[in-house]
Amino acid sequence: MTATAASTARIAALALSSALALCACEREMRRFETPPDNRSSARPETPRTSTLQPAEARSDAVRMPAGNGEGYEGNAYNVAQGKRLYRWYNCGGCHAQGGGGMGPALIDDQWRYGSEPAQIFSTIMQGRPNGMPSFGGHLSEDQVWQLTAYVRSMSGQLRKDVAPGRADSLQANEPEAARDREPPRPGAK
Amino acid sequence: MNRPGHAPASRLKDGTGPGSPEAAALDATWSDPPGLLGWLAAVNHKSIARRFIVTTFCFFVAGGLLAVVMRLQLARPGSKLVGPDLYNQLFTMHGSTMMFLFAVPVMQAVAVYLVPLMLGTRSIAFPRLNAFAYWIFLFGGLMLYVVFVLGAGPDAGWFSYVPLAGPDYSPGKREDFWAQMITFTELSALLEAIVVITTVFKLRAPGMTLNRIPLFVWAMLVTAFMVLFAMPSVMLASTMLIMDRLVGSHFFNPAEGGDVVLWQHLFWFFGHPEVYLIFLPGLGFLSAMIPTFARRPIFGYTAMVLSLIATAFLAFGLWVHHMFAVNLPELGKSFFTAASMLIAIPSAVQIFCWLATLWGGKLDFKTPLLFVLGFFFILVLGGMTGIMLASVPLDLQVHDSYFVVAHLHYVLIGGAVFPLFGAFYYWYPKITGRLMSERLGRWNFWLFFIGFNVAFFPMHLLGLKGMPRRVYTYQAGLGWDAMNMVATIGALTIAMSVLLFIVNAARSLRHGAPAGANPWGAGTLEWATESPPPPCNFHAIPVVHGRDPLWEHPRPEAEGAQPAFTHVSGLAADTRELLATTVLDARPDLRLNFPDPTIWPFVSAVAVTALFIGSVFTPWAVVWGSIPIAIALTAWFWPDRAETSVHLSLERKP
Repeated sequence: MTATAASTARIAALALSSALALCACEREMRRFETPPDNRSSARPETPRTSTLQPAEARSDAVRMPAGNGEGYEGNAYNVAQGKRLYRWYNCGGCHAQGGGGMGPALIDDQWRYGSEPAQIFSTIMQGRPNGMPSFGGHLSEDQVWQLTAYVRSMSGQLRKDVAPGRADSLQANEPEAARDREPPRPGAK
Repeated sequence: MNRPGHAPASRLKDGTGPGSPEAAALDATWSDPPGLLGWLAAVNHKSIARRFIVTTFCFFVAGGLLAVVMRLQLARPGSKLVGPDLYNQLFTMHGSTMMFLFAVPVMQAVAVYLVPLMLGTRSIAFPRLNAFAYWIFLFGGLMLYVVFVLGAGPDAGWFSYVPLAGPDYSPGKREDFWAQMITFTELSALLEAIVVITTVFKLRAPGMTLNRIPLFVWAMLVTAFMVLFAMPSVMLASTMLIMDRLVGSHFFNPAEGGDVVLWQHLFWFFGHPEVYLIFLPGLGFLSAMIPTFARRPIFGYTAMVLSLIATAFLAFGLWVHHMFAVNLPELGKSFFTAASMLIAIPSAVQIFCWLATLWGGKLDFKTPLLFVLGFFFILVLGGMTGIMLASVPLDLQVHDSYFVVAHLHYVLIGGAVFPLFGAFYYWYPKITGRLMSERLGRWNFWLFFIGFNVAFFPMHLLGLKGMPRRVYTYQAGLGWDAMNMVATIGALTIAMSVLLFIVNAARSLRHGAPAGANPWGAGTLEWATESPPPPCNFHAIPVVHGRDPLWEHPRPEAEGAQPAFTHVSGLAADTRELLATTVLDARPDLRLNFPDPTIWPFVSAVAVTALFIGSVFTPWAVVWGSIPIAIALTAWFWPDRAETSVHLSLERKP
């Protein structure tokens, strides 16, 4: 009986310590509430740098993000939402599936306006000269961060386990999760 | 283990009753080694089965708690108790737990305990494989719950339909863990099926011909064969799913030439037989309990066996009735309608045989019999709605509504959980040596029976009123509010009843009335040995002359005394020797040596778990993870010099 009790205690201790170890693991959260509107809060503003804009043209300035986009790149759900937005907002019209066309490629190591999340965020919000439209005010801040995360997954910047596996639509290149990381070269043409 | 070096087997032979040195040697030979390592190394089928039953019951309680949370969320319209994300995880985990981690495994767990005892043998076939199957099941189930607690529980339903469960709509690792858990538990089920089939065919007591096997064993044998044909289908499907998700294959992607309906076919080709994998053992429980409490042999043994087999065959021919709402050819729908309705015939044969048994019997209204009668009421209601759902026009009308939820719970809980609870009360004294409290048992039954009907009957009406399945909330004023509240109250009643059961089981472990070998006066062989059975099951292997061996001989006058048996003797008492018999007429055939306890099945299971968890993150885990598995399996099957010398010495003539 004591042998059984001792072994039970040992098993309990083992189970408890492994349960504690699990507390350190990351949670795979999903949020289903409506994303906050980025027009509501007072924050520093920057001008739009592109006159090209989807839908109704806007002349107002673009607000800078409230945070630095943490929590989007480590979350598969947000990246997948970004992939969906990429399709819905016809990013492929210029960038194709990352291989580039009218616009530059997004799956290689070259970044004209910077490869950091904050820089890509600004690119989407403000637009860029020579063709990149300004999406500020057309998407919520939340969605722009999701797009940013997806754009970075295209050149393998994200962890394999959060990058999209494959799409249910036709896709010319290999899944984002299977791509090698391209070390970014800032300012390259 | 613990075996002296090269000593040849001594000549201690079995065949004498408890208390003799031979019996003591037998007990020492067949018991598990002591200590934590010994606990992990155990291979005795009763130890493994006890753990298995407790584990599956823990999963049942966990799955039930998830259901209670769901019902609390749905009790009022517009409730904000859990969000949509958590709700999706809840119903997925509830379904997956109940189907994969409770209903099928618990039946196999009970079979692992009872089949060798009912067949009058000392061990289950392949005892190490049996232990391995348990560990695999435990790790697979734990893995699913660990990721659920980590907020990454699967959320695409227990059926995991693609494209919802595919990489595009279920990003992240949630569905990957689900798919791997399926592979784990179904691997375990397959191994247990092999173990049961071999035990039934080769390890029966002398004289137990095929037409003398207890009906529960028949039910488990048929179930095991069904497992062999059904489970590979879902393992294949889940492997294809995880390949779609991890390495970008396109099995289920129509854009690239794949097919989403392929998933449904593969899943339901398993999923429909799965219902009968749960139902047939339930029938087996009934066929064991009804004769005991009616105090007469079962009516129509041959008809019962044939209808078990007919049910198993038909079960593979009607999976498409889960897919009537998919655009399939009309001729196919007609065929599967006919097949679905046809299954009522063997089920009815069984029910009428039981009724005939009860009709002519002198009923003894103990708790197990109450659960049997509850089964009749609930299953017949569930069967009626089953006939309704088998017809295409009605199915299209109520598809994906609460009507289906009501039907499936009536069939599964009525067909499996009620018999199972009866079986717990019936065999508890055999496993623990003590009876459970009758008073608490009656409370348990009536709360369960009333709570069940209060919880699930309104769901028929909710479904007819248009409430869809799998919604996390609904608006007020649709006419669903009151019935949802009632259903929640019913769910809480069921929870209370299960709590009573747990209290009863825990209390009776220490304070129950001592049971003796055969408290119910039953006729099958598991009641011929002490309660709980000694490690070797039987000190003398019984010889069987009829279907109910304990009813063949008049009981001696003395209270609790066992009828005198004819038995065979002469197997070694100090090594794991076993008698194998021929398949058809159970004549003694071979003397087998069984393996000793070893840690390697446990280590192998750990290695397999490491491979599968790694494979969720990188395909390379399949390559590198196979190395530890190869090492563990090599150690598992490495011949032991001492063991071999004992076996050789036994083969020599004395």
